[in-house]
Amino acid sequence: MTMARAASSRRSFLGHSYNLVGVVASLVILAWTLVAIFAPYIIPHPIGDIVDDDYFGPMRQGLWLGSDYLGRDMLSRVLMGARYTVGISLAAVSIACFSGVVLGMIAAVTGGWLDSCLSRFLDAMNSIPSKLFGLVVVAAVGSSIPVLILTLAVIYVPGAYRFARALAVNINTMDFMTVARVRGESTVYLIGSEILPNIIRPVLADFGLRFVFIVLLLSGLSFLGLGLQPPLADWGALVRENIGGLPFAAPAVIVPSLAIASLTISVNLLIDNLPQKIRDRDA
Amino acid sequence: MKSGVLKLVAKRLAIAVVTLLIVLFAVFFATSMLPGDTASILLGQAATPEAVAGLREAMHLNDPAILRFLRWLLGLLHGDLGASYANQMPVAALIGGRFVNTMKLAGITTLISVPLALTLGITAAMLRGSLYDRAVTVLSIGVISVPEFMVATLAVLLFAVYLRWLPALSSVNEARSLADLVRIYAMPVITLTFVISAQMIRMTRAAVIETLSTPYVEMALLKGASRSRMVLRHALPNALGPIVNAVALSLSYLVGGVIIVETIFNYPGIAKLMVDAVATRDLPLIQSCAMIFCLGYLLLITAADIIAIMSNPRLR
Amino acid sequence: MNDKITNWTGADDAMVENAIRRGASRRELLKMLLAGGAAVAAGSVVLGRATQAVAATPVSGGNLKAAGWSSSTADTLDPAKASLSTDYVRCCSLYNRLTFLDKDGKTQMELAESVDSKDAKTWTVKLRKGVTFHDGKDLTADDVVFSLKRHLDKAVGSKVAKIAAQMTGFKAVDKSTVEITLADPNADLPTILALHHFMIVADGTTDFSKGNGTGAFVLQTFEPGVRSVVTKNKNYWKSGKPYLDSFEFIAITDDSARVNALISGDINFAASINPRSMKLLESQQGFELSKTTSGNYTDLNIRLDMDPGNKADFVAGMKYLVNREQIVKSALRGLGEIGNDQPVSPANIFHNADLKPKAFDPDKAKFHFNKAGVLGQSIPVVASDAATSSIDMAVIIQAAGADIGMKLDVQRVPSDGYWDNYWLKAPVHFGNINPRPTPDILFSLLYASNAPWNESQYKSEKFDKLLVEARGMLDQAKRKEIYGVMQTMIAEEAGTIIPAYISNVDALSSKVKGLEANPLGGMMGYAMAEYLWLEA
Repeated sequence: MTMARAASSRRSFLGHSYNLVGVVASLVILAWTLVAIFAPYIIPHPIGDIVDDDYFGPMRQGLWLGSDYLGRDMLSRVLMGARYTVGISLAAVSIACFSGVVLGMIAAVTGGWLDSCLSRFLDAMNSIPSKLFGLVVVAAVGSSIPVLILTLAVIYVPGAYRFARALAVNINTMDFMTVARVRGESTVYLIGSEILPNIIRPVLADFGLRFVFIVLLLSGLSFLGLGLQPPLADWGALVRENIGGLPFAAPAVIVPSLAIASLTISVNLLIDNLPQKIRDRDA
Repeated sequence: MKSGVLKLVAKRLAIAVVTLLIVLFAVFFATSMLPGDTASILLGQAATPEAVAGLREAMHLNDPAILRFLRWLLGLLHGDLGASYANQMPVAALIGGRFVNTMKLAGITTLISVPLALTLGITAAMLRGSLYDRAVTVLSIGVISVPEFMVATLAVLLFAVYLRWLPALSSVNEARSLADLVRIYAMPVITLTFVISAQMIRMTRAAVIETLSTPYVEMALLKGASRSRMVLRHALPNALGPIVNAVALSLSYLVGGVIIVETIFNYPGIAKLMVDAVATRDLPLIQSCAMIFCLGYLLLITAADIIAIMSNPRLR
Repeated sequence: MNDKITNWTGADDAMVENAIRRGASRRELLKMLLAGGAAVAAGSVVLGRATQAVAATPVSGGNLKAAGWSSSTADTLDPAKASLSTDYVRCCSLYNRLTFLDKDGKTQMELAESVDSKDAKTWTVKLRKGVTFHDGKDLTADDVVFSLKRHLDKAVGSKVAKIAAQMTGFKAVDKSTVEITLADPNADLPTILALHHFMIVADGTTDFSKGNGTGAFVLQTFEPGVRSVVTKNKNYWKSGKPYLDSFEFIAITDDSARVNALISGDINFAASINPRSMKLLESQQGFELSKTTSGNYTDLNIRLDMDPGNKADFVAGMKYLVNREQIVKSALRGLGEIGNDQPVSPANIFHNADLKPKAFDPDKAKFHFNKAGVLGQSIPVVASDAATSSIDMAVIIQAAGADIGMKLDVQRVPSDGYWDNYWLKAPVHFGNINPRPTPDILFSLLYASNAPWNESQYKSEKFDKLLVEARGMLDQAKRKEIYGVMQTMIAEEAGTIIPAYISNVDALSSKVKGLEANPLGGMMGYAMAEYLWLEA
């Protein structure tokens, strides 16, 4: 595929009347991204300050999203939480999917002992339950944002690898791959130009799912007492620490749940609506 | 072809042993990086240096960890899982009942979630772009977007606290009839189905769509073959590889990843056992649990690989 | 046990009792109590007492299913190794102690008929006769000697090895008399013997999985980390007891799951509930709450021998920075009493009530921090779920610090391994201390120069001398005076900040009767199994 063709397809994809779902989804993501970037400047109260004598307070003037289990302002905590949920999860999922998919394609194309070694090692990694892995890492080296990102990424590399490899192996048996091999194309070319375009849709769908999983694993880690250092909290941790408000439908537990859902659903809807356009370039 | 499959299985078995060894060594090194040992953790606040030394001596923890690990491996060859450091009980006895519990929960969840997910995934792919498809997509993502502990707590509040239909705890030893069984397993199974179905639904849908858009299927459709026929006859067998892979990965979660469900429903399974074991640095127990998780996982993905290979003639 | 209710009289008890007979609701009663001047907090304790007067006749029979909050594969039936509330509850149902503490904190005899001494150094324990173990063996002096002596054996891994170390001589004088010799005089021995770890097991026991004791229940099932079931001991030496046919104990670690299980009827008793669950419980019919404020506390420890605690002004500043009222109000939701930086709680008869808690004063704090030159630095504060409420307390202190430019960097670390790796070690960290019955135990364990758990590395010769002086003293009034001075010394000089004594709230079905508060902790000092009964 030439550069010119790629560029023209991109134009048409922007120029195209993009479907409504995709637009809404990207707007939601954009909104959360902006919140994540500007959160420190727009929060009404410092996230650690106790501003309400009551706990699980209702929505009211001044405390627009009520108060949390300690009486802290939920609006500020949700806005700041966007930072950590979006930032950490996005970083981790990008690292995980990029390394997983690249390794998976290399393994599929190269085959042989490299494939075997990689597959065995990553399978071994994958068989260790993720929450336990997190538990051990945090117990051994402590909890900080870089550690969390790396841990989450490492946990999801094997899954991304397996998935990409399975897809790539199928493509690898196709006739056009044999043709390309006979032509003497390099591995880089085979991966980038022949395999990737043919597996991109499921890989992106997988990216979206893995993003959701990472957001959730982050909250799962907070269930086990791991995760960000207080008073910082990602959305999952907000749900966790305020779960006691569930019987009273406290906004402190409902709002972060909705925030997680809005972000994860948007990411997946956007991805669902992207590949059609990307595929159009081959049509 | 039959001998081919046998050869494949044999090769896979050898690979499984290698993978298992990698896991055991990795787990060993990871746990030896953890601060503290069983003696100091059991003593907790009372862990003065002399007290720790005394207890360590009494518990035979003075040998280097690697030596104890190798001894455990040797015992494993004879089918002996060793004894727990924390309470001196045989590991096999500690794991036994809990392993059965885990398998029961995993089995029931599988029976419900896999057919459900495949049906939803395939139908969504066939009706791609329709309202139904959109609904399935949004719902499946929506359902996993809610943290597991929230689904579980919500279910308990609704069905146990307000409606009083179901017990809040899953006390396995109180199951005396089929009705009891249903009542006890209903909530954990619903929660886990929520957790694992989404990935299967989405992967099934994506894989079927992918094969539906390959040139030969498009050609057949143009020639007037019916869509449902194409899906069942051609697209599905070709999409089987990625689908069984997704199923295998989702199911492997049921073996070791259900710690939250086990905690909230107080269900004695092996995920909680391993968390306990890590907390007390109980090496034989950690290793044994890790081995079970690894074997379960390998079994699932090997099965998935074999199915994938069988279904794609080019890979055979 | 609660000195806040000074104006509460027997007449008030009678009034409440009358009201209950008339069928007053819980809410009305609480209002009445408030009008009477008692704090709401004290309310539920008093309420419990009156309720019992109405239904004072215990009924035999029934199965009680109770849930604690922690349990693991390390669960044990060896009283010496017991470390979690779960272990204490199980051991209390299977074994007896020589003495125990009643609801007023007074020492009562259990397996002992008397524990006497002339010089507080050599003690004679006379044993009750006709007591048998579950396996039929008679209780003898040898069992007592074995049970006490094993704490000195390092291989046992006893939790109270330090306290037991003062017992240097054990002698079985005859079949039912034991002589215990102490290294130095200690007037508190009868109280020390009421510690859960000093339960009496049969001579020569090495396998504790059978739970062979003299207690009210016989072991039926025990699965570490899962559950235990005990059944009524038909030959129990306390006549009429226990009332329950069987008692099942499990642990539900998740706070809200434990409360939900109680409301749904899966269990009849949920120990130590989160204060934030009280709203839900109060909206439901048929449940009671029982509050105990014993000496449990979570403290902020600043090591005086390390930077920044070696600057006296940093420690002084921190004491002003801790907003005790807010901690009790927000972190503990009112279920606690403000503390005055020393370990002897108001539940203890030796508590020094004249020692006032430091007031929250950010300006004074800032003045001291400025003097210490720590403003602008980032000081790590280690907290963990292992120390109850410490993360919430840390966040409250952190926010107060942020307002005056003192940056505290809260580091939450995992629960497992906390006591081993961070407690006593980090320069600024949180600890959690369980109730101990006597000031002597608290001071010897926590504040003497050679104390094994000297949380802030406090060293004072004067303090050490007073400690030894008071220990051998049989005159209570004189002792109280010395202990009062020592409490002031700790509050002023040590690096431990004790913002509050934490109350424990157990929730139970209204059908469960007989529960009383106990200074050794919730669940009647963990010994509730033999005292509770189920209303038909």
